Amino acid sequence: MVIKLFATLKDRAGAGEITVSAEGECTVAELRTRIAAQHPALAELVARSIVAVNREFAFNDDVVRATDEVALFPPVSGGCL
Amino acid sequence: MSEPTIVRITTDPIDLNALQRAVTTPRDGAVVLFTGTVRGVTGAERTEKLEYEAYTEMAMAKLRQVADEMRAKFALIHGIALVQRVGEMAVGEPTVAVVVSAGHRGDGAFEAARYGIDRLKQIVPVWKKETRPDGSAWVEGDYVPSRGD
Repeated sequence: MVIKLFATLKDRAGAGEITVSAEGECTVAELRTRIAAQHPALAELVARSIVAVNREFAFNDDVVRATDEVALFPPVSGGCL
Repeated sequence: MSEPTIVRITTDPIDLNALQRAVTTPRDGAVVLFTGTVRGVTGAERTEKLEYEAYTEMAMAKLRQVADEMRAKFALIHGIALVQRVGEMAVGEPTVAVVVSAGHRGDGAFEAARYGIDRLKQIVPVWKKETRPDGSAWVEGDYVPSRGD
């Protein structure tokens, strides 16, 4: 499963996307656990990051499939201060 | 009647006059334009530049959602433009624009623009990296989305 990264997550991983081994489907909560285990650089940030699936916000009990577009990012800070 | 709705994520400088023209229909007598700019001085802190990054595909979908919510809440408004610029911007440059037209200024145009920028800052996936004299860091928001966002 490919996961797009943005902002702090992208800098920390040193890449705009990562791959996580996940067979079939899993919940967003399980996905967070796998990301932390397989990408230790992101472990500290992953619990408080936002997950989006198919361009919609996703929550811990939502199911993610290998074919979904998945992204991980910090709370948004666009617009203006 | 179909009203102008412009949503855009762009690296180009924001042309505020062009946006005002684009959302104004012959039925409009009022246009409210909000723009956010790069602030150079915040108390004792100095900002040299901001760099904005977007998850463009989702940001476009969320900008459309913000525009839909504005229309649902403020039924009398006409044109809407929601534009977020990404890339590097210097102090004083517009980073974002929210433009709303209506028949009269009392038709909810001010309130819709306020709602639009507040909502954009909650749900549109855009982040900024601030460069100060002592280094750069990503600015994180504090809004945690819930179902329905």
